[in-house]
Amino acid sequence: MSAAGHFTLDGTRLPYEPGDTVAVALLRAGEHPMYGGTLCLAGDCGNCVAEVDGIAYVRTCQTPGREGLAVNRHPPTGPPPWHEPAERHFAVRRGQADLVVIGAGDAGRAAAAEAERRGRAVTLLDAGQETEVVAIYAGPTLIARTPEGMLHLRAREFVLATGAAEIQPVCPGNRLAGLLTARAAQQLHAAGVDLGVAVAVGEPPAGVPCTPIHGDLVRFEGIGSVAAVVTSERGTERTTPCDTVILDLGRAPRDHLSRMATGLPVTVVGSAAVTFPLPPAPTGGIVCGCAGIGVDALESVWARGFNELELVKRASLVGTGTCQGAACMPHVRAWIADRTGQAPEPFTARPASRQITLGEASADTHLDAFRRTSLHDEHLAAGAQMDRFGGWWRPWHYGDHLAEYRAVREGVSLGDVSTLGKFVVSGPNALEFLQGLYPTDVSTIRVGRSRYALLLNERGHVIDDGMICREGEDRFVLTFTTGGAGNAEMWMRDWIETWGLDVLLLDRTMSLAAINVTGPRAGELLARLGLAEQPKFLQHLRGQVAGVPCHVMRLSFTGEASFELHHPVDRSVELWRALLAAGADLGIRPHGLQALFALRLEKGHVIIGMDTELDTTPRRLGMDWAVNMEKPYFVGREALLRTATLPDRRRLVGLTMPGPAPMEGTPILSDGSVIGHVTSSFGSPTLGQAVMLGWLKRAPFPEQVAVDGRIATVSAPPFYDPEGLRARA
Amino acid sequence: MRAPEPLRGLRVVAAPTVLDALPWPGGVVALRLAPDDLFALGAAGTELVGALVEEEAGFVGWWFTPAELHDHVLEHIDWPLPAARPALAQGLVAGVPARLWLTADRVLLFTAAAYAHELIDRLP
Repeated sequence: MSAAGHFTLDGTRLPYEPGDTVAVALLRAGEHPMYGGTLCLAGDCGNCVAEVDGIAYVRTCQTPGREGLAVNRHPPTGPPPWHEPAERHFAVRRGQADLVVIGAGDAGRAAAAEAERRGRAVTLLDAGQETEVVAIYAGPTLIARTPEGMLHLRAREFVLATGAAEIQPVCPGNRLAGLLTARAAQQLHAAGVDLGVAVAVGEPPAGVPCTPIHGDLVRFEGIGSVAAVVTSERGTERTTPCDTVILDLGRAPRDHLSRMATGLPVTVVGSAAVTFPLPPAPTGGIVCGCAGIGVDALESVWARGFNELELVKRASLVGTGTCQGAACMPHVRAWIADRTGQAPEPFTARPASRQITLGEASADTHLDAFRRTSLHDEHLAAGAQMDRFGGWWRPWHYGDHLAEYRAVREGVSLGDVSTLGKFVVSGPNALEFLQGLYPTDVSTIRVGRSRYALLLNERGHVIDDGMICREGEDRFVLTFTTGGAGNAEMWMRDWIETWGLDVLLLDRTMSLAAINVTGPRAGELLARLGLAEQPKFLQHLRGQVAGVPCHVMRLSFTGEASFELHHPVDRSVELWRALLAAGADLGIRPHGLQALFALRLEKGHVIIGMDTELDTTPRRLGMDWAVNMEKPYFVGREALLRTATLPDRRRLVGLTMPGPAPMEGTPILSDGSVIGHVTSSFGSPTLGQAVMLGWLKRAPFPEQVAVDGRIATVSAPPFYDPEGLRARA
Repeated sequence: MRAPEPLRGLRVVAAPTVLDALPWPGGVVALRLAPDDLFALGAAGTELVGALVEEEAGFVGWWFTPAELHDHVLEHIDWPLPAARPALAQGLVAGVPARLWLTADRVLLFTAAAYAHELIDRLP
């Protein structure tokens, strides 16, 4: 037969004939795609993978020969070389179907015909027809690789008719070349590949010239390629010289997809549904050819107590390679059954069942969507460096964070705080709801006043914080942290439902923007823009600023007088520009998060998630003042009651020291031992020293610690304006 | 993707039975975002006893013909659209939280203004 074309193997030109896969063409040329290992030529094992046109781990038995193809064998040890992938767009087709049958063999076709007779609309998919299903997800949705790109197909039901794979041999010498499963031998013989002197262990394949050998398989012998097979019968070993060993050792269901579809409407038919007998427990050789895991490795992890299939898999990595356990699973189950007397159920399979490239896996997927405030373009125009925080793009700085810091401390500055969680709560049970939700006594917040509050979970751990603004007897506006707003909504809705309360809740986070006008001249600026009546500290009111309707909240995170202007998002640019224009002679400039974090740190204000941990309680923060234990009930109260009497070795403390600020995360040492770490730090130009928050996790708490090789003093915050006079000014 | 148009109206939160019974004047599109949450596109100035009513300016959207929806949007949706019309559908469109108001002759794709740039970038 004349060559249909040529491809290269490790740079050497090789011919292929019509109908040849790359693997068949290699074997015809006397080569092995991986130097050794039993070949099934059915896509089940990982023994024929190679780099094809720069893509590693490609199954050459499933890759048709093509002119100019560049095939390179993986190195015998270590990973294949990395190639910068060519930019390529992977299309995704999406579809919906009634019933999808996967596998167009006898069982699949029969299932399809039967379903059609029952009136079902059947879609039949088969890897042989270039639609290779690689994953099934909830939906149920299948992911398939096709020549046109990836197919995402949602269906009402799947039928899996994926057939059975041939058992691979596990014994010493099983990584030699020249080992074939029976079906592989038939395929090669049909393709005219010379198998040399062939012997068959098990049932010889029909039509393939070979000599049957009786007895149990003991080992293969040879250097590089098999030269002989050793079998045992009635205690006597026999060595049979050969060029090829053909192995018919049984079957195992090809059940990757069904093992990843647990709980989904999936039916398995045909050989894939058959419970085949397991092979004999292996005693030597490589069990997992993909990862090079031998029987000795299984014995090692078993001896260390990993005595379940899932544990053996995790500890030894057996089954985690290219074929995802298809070849080794029956042997590992048999090996465990030999020790426990019971064969374990196969382990769960996870997508993908076949090697796919990162490009294919990520086809038409998107990065998380990050929100922009309505002032995004204003920030960019002002030179802001934007960064992602809590699901939003936010300005980190505008080029000079210290100048921004000074603008707040000395004049007036604007901060875009539109990202804060903002909720309206109303209804007849609104107060009862908030009394249960918060550890503070909400009933004592008068209309027109507001209060800082912690949000606790049932364990008394701080999960968020924010403001409670009372607008009426049964109407409140709540704020939460930027990153916590989404969870806060779920949290509130859950409790409203749990308590069966008549409460109306509306998330205004993305409907309202908010600008924080802060600094000693903030009030003066707002007066210029028409806000004659201004709220006092911790008051709030509705008013107009530059003609924009605002809910004005007087508070302070920066330590200076601050007015948060909550307003409709579509008026935000107008308001921002008016504030900047009116404040030009006051030296107004916007500040980013870098400056804000420094400003609040000088005041000792914590940032939930940055200064807190998952089990942080108010006591550990030194914020018992935010909890009213006189209330008969609030979420977390029981836990706080219980833990209040227990010794606690953790405190978030303030720290000061001369010199530059250490990096956040720097260990805190006492007597040479690490006893905590710094959560926030800033070299304060106002205070002339580094100020920090950090965790101490060993009692008794020392008064001095070592940070960054220097002595730091434990100092109760706030470090700046401890009486709060500036915030109240 | 062209720039979206702002969608203004009222956000009404109330018990489902209250929302069910609300009459809306012609030209107002009542979009039921949740059993207790309704966005009345084009509505203004309504006060309702027992309801939480807020002016809503946080959404933006694009009107499409069904053919435009098919050509530009559908391939970016991996969940089934409802067959009935009119219908409100909610889910990810090109990975962005969004909603579709589907009528017989036109479709409104809308999202929070904060996400609009993502849809503009991701849809053709």
